[in-house]
Amino acid sequence: MHSTESQAPKLETELSTEASLLSEIYGFLALAMRYPDSSFLDGQFLDAYEALLQSLEWKEEYADMQKWRSQTGDFLNDLQIEYTQLFINASPGTTIPPYASVYMDGDRSIQGKTTEKIKDFYRSCGYEVTSSTEPPDHIQHELEFLAALAGENRREEETLFLHSLFRPWFIRFLKHSIQEARHPFYRVSIQLIDFFTKEEQ
Amino acid sequence: MAIHLSRRNFLKTASIAAASVPLSKVVAKAETGVAKAPLVPPGSFKDTDTVVGGVCEMCFWRCQLVGKVRDGRLVKIEGNPKSIDNGASICARGNAGVKLLYDPDRLKYPMKNVGKRGAPKWQRITWDEALDTCATKLKNVIDEHGPESLAIFPHGASASYPFHFFEHTVGTPNVSEASFFQCRGIRDMAYMATIEQPPGENVDMPNTKVIFLLGGHFGENVHVSHLKRYLKGLENGAKLVVVDPRFSASAAKADIWVPIRPGTDTAMLLAIMNYLIQNDKYAADFVDEYGEGFEEFAEGIKEWTLEKAAAECDIPVAQIKEVADLLAANMPNVAIHPGRHVSWYGNDFQRQRALACLTGVLGAFGVKGAFVPPKGPKGLKKVSWPHGDHDPDLLSDYADNSHDFSPPGTPTDLIRDAAITGKPYPIKGCVIWGQNPIQTIPNQEKTIKMLEQMDFVMCTDVMPTDITMYADILLPECSYLERYDYIKTGTQWNFADEHQQYIAPRMPLVDPEFERKDGIWITNELAKRMGYGEFIPTKDQVEMVNTRLAGVGLSIDKIRAEDGIHIQPGKDPYGISEDMTVIFYNEDLEDAGYPPIPTYIPVERAPQGYMRLLYGRSPVHTFNRTQNNAWLMAAMDSTPVWLNDKVASKLGFKEGDTVSLENQDGVKSRTTATVKVTPGIREDAVYIYHGFGSINPELTIGHNKGIDDTSLITKLAVDPETGCHGMRNNFVKLVKVS
Ligand code: SF4
Repeated sequence: MHSTESQAPKLETELSTEASLLSEIYGFLALAMRYPDSSFLDGQFLDAYEALLQSLEWKEEYADMQKWRSQTGDFLNDLQIEYTQLFINASPGTTIPPYASVYMDGDRSIQGKTTEKIKDFYRSCGYEVTSSTEPPDHIQHELEFLAALAGENRREEETLFLHSLFRPWFIRFLKHSIQEARHPFYRVSIQLIDFFTKEEQ
Repeated sequence: MAIHLSRRNFLKTASIAAASVPLSKVVAKAETGVAKAPLVPPGSFKDTDTVVGGVCEMCFWRCQLVGKVRDGRLVKIEGNPKSIDNGASICARGNAGVKLLYDPDRLKYPMKNVGKRGAPKWQRITWDEALDTCATKLKNVIDEHGPESLAIFPHGASASYPFHFFEHTVGTPNVSEASFFQCRGIRDMAYMATIEQPPGENVDMPNTKVIFLLGGHFGENVHVSHLKRYLKGLENGAKLVVVDPRFSASAAKADIWVPIRPGTDTAMLLAIMNYLIQNDKYAADFVDEYGEGFEEFAEGIKEWTLEKAAAECDIPVAQIKEVADLLAANMPNVAIHPGRHVSWYGNDFQRQRALACLTGVLGAFGVKGAFVPPKGPKGLKKVSWPHGDHDPDLLSDYADNSHDFSPPGTPTDLIRDAAITGKPYPIKGCVIWGQNPIQTIPNQEKTIKMLEQMDFVMCTDVMPTDITMYADILLPECSYLERYDYIKTGTQWNFADEHQQYIAPRMPLVDPEFERKDGIWITNELAKRMGYGEFIPTKDQVEMVNTRLAGVGLSIDKIRAEDGIHIQPGKDPYGISEDMTVIFYNEDLEDAGYPPIPTYIPVERAPQGYMRLLYGRSPVHTFNRTQNNAWLMAAMDSTPVWLNDKVASKLGFKEGDTVSLENQDGVKSRTTATVKVTPGIREDAVYIYHGFGSINPELTIGHNKGIDDTSLITKLAVDPETGCHGMRNNFVKLVKVS
């Protein structure tokens, strides 16, 4: 009994360090899934991105990123075009809409039943999407929401959300993105999202 | 991928925390979109609200709607039960508006084309950058070549405001509306030249004794209150005459189906009129009182005996006589339908004139069951761009044929040819607003050439279409479900009911998403940047609609409180105004060098081995505008090729064979379709739906589905009086694919 008591606070600290790191990572990945602009997508962002890959020991991905950075004349412009192609409108038709409802509601729809469910889930946890031009089930907002939950160390709700509302559509999105996302930044970002949201075996 | 650390191990070791750039610092630069909000217990129920004031624009008919909205999301569209027009009914397309609203392929943000015209690569940009670019580029074109060097291709209710800005205030006359030059402009101008008013579809079908349709394929062609009038007429016992080379949905209900040789309708109409006049079976009193130039007209059409027309039209003499007698026996209570999409053979003005004259010969104006324009509400104010002092240089002044009876704007081919040749002056800037000229204007190669030589092309639309691929800057517009614009007015659909009028301004059912903007905002912003800020006639869409409604003592708020539709007592529409004239012989036409009486101009017949390509409407589509709609495409996503059964067996085609089409110029369809073998079409024609087979791969569902008939309309026919296109003068053969 005695030993358990003394261990308890330590476990909590560890957990909260973990949780706050996870929150930062979710937040970071949310930014990667947001339309890039110079207010946040700068050299420092890409440095942090590479540092993350290094610390994960994702060597190949790290090399791909480095290669792209050394080759591109204007990384922001590059990413804006790529983002538009992948997530907004593209020709030839290779967009992968980053909205849960498009994959879950049977008939490819933005603002579907799933969007409503996701919005309700946010609200039931005391959150809401504000000041955004995107629907609440955009991957960026889902990751922001996960960041918020992790930041409060709400493991149970985080797991429930991942399991019931995030992973089911994300795996389909992931499958399409493997075919479509040729740019290292988005390909690797989506892999990172997969890695950090996958249920541990 | 290499063997990776597990997430748990990674988070435990937390080596990233020690990295040179802490994530927290990077993340802090941008604000999260997710914010703390009051807790809402799970499972709490959101009510579904009924939002009033919707006006459909899945087609131009504009049925009145309500939206079922839950938590800001439109879940269902229904007819507004208060409507005295469509009532609670809407069609399949009206219903499927939800799928347009939430189509993931819809345009969401302003974009610039960093690829090539026709092979675009898009980059999302800010509205400021988009508008600044458009303003600078358009201004450059104007400064260098004059306002006439802008060509405008508008379509739909939201396009009027911007195109009036360019036409009135900037000063370009080079506006080509598809609804005029590739659709109903011919009808309107022909009736103007005959009865001095555009006819609409104003025949009193519910209360008529005979409905006479030339090409009208109601049932496949669905417009709710129009269809209600037609079906009520049939229910009340009206006889139905359908003249169509194809056994259409209307032909299937007809008492007399006249499978006429395509292009010869005027010959038949002239023969009917001649027969009626020669046999004293016409409305002599009416003609005496209201007719002008009847003698010359009667004399001029004398050659058109039933026999002559029968031979020309490839139908029995007895059948023309039967139709003529039926009309005579029931005149004046007969509904000679003016049609709507009438740009068929390049001789269409004459046919439309003949239809109007036939209505006159039968005295079928102003009485029960005849041509009866509704008496709708009057007094809405106009809000419009002021005319500048620029005196426009008109392309028609340089043309061999000046198309003196052209509908408003400039005939499409005058604009397109000027653009391609640079003569008489260059056309270097292009504004396309809600129109898809690739699928509306025949000869796509020429349209593309026109676009390629432009200095700048700007496009505003709701969806990606064929034409948006050619934009330099592409702007996303609010759909009809997210904006104010049009004010629909009218009367109760059946004149036999209590006379009522309604006023229904379009109101949004939901807020716009992404960065979609309404046309008034876009135009005003553009005008300011182009230096026309002082001429802006209204500050925004709400003010615009309120100003217009103020003319009748109403406002958006008042009408919203009245469930979206203001209804007031109406007026009896029957009766003939004193100044009514039916101009059988038109001197203005004569002065301009056109036939003064309706005249039959033969068109080329199908060469050996080819059949005439006819096209029409699918009941669940509005041409290419519904080409990516998930529900409508689930109902119909192809263009079955109607082929006569005898021809099929002669050529060895079976039902369901996959074919491509090849036209007389060797142009092949890009896609294929299946054969529908039927006795219900003439041997000299094939039929497909119009508006399919989009070339734009951004349309996940619609791309390359069915055959694009416009791609096969390469040979041009231009109606001499109006300058409008005729689009049924091309011939195809079927090529078996499998
Ligand atoms: S007929 Fe159908 S598509 Fe046209 S306005 Fe009415 S509901 Fe809409």
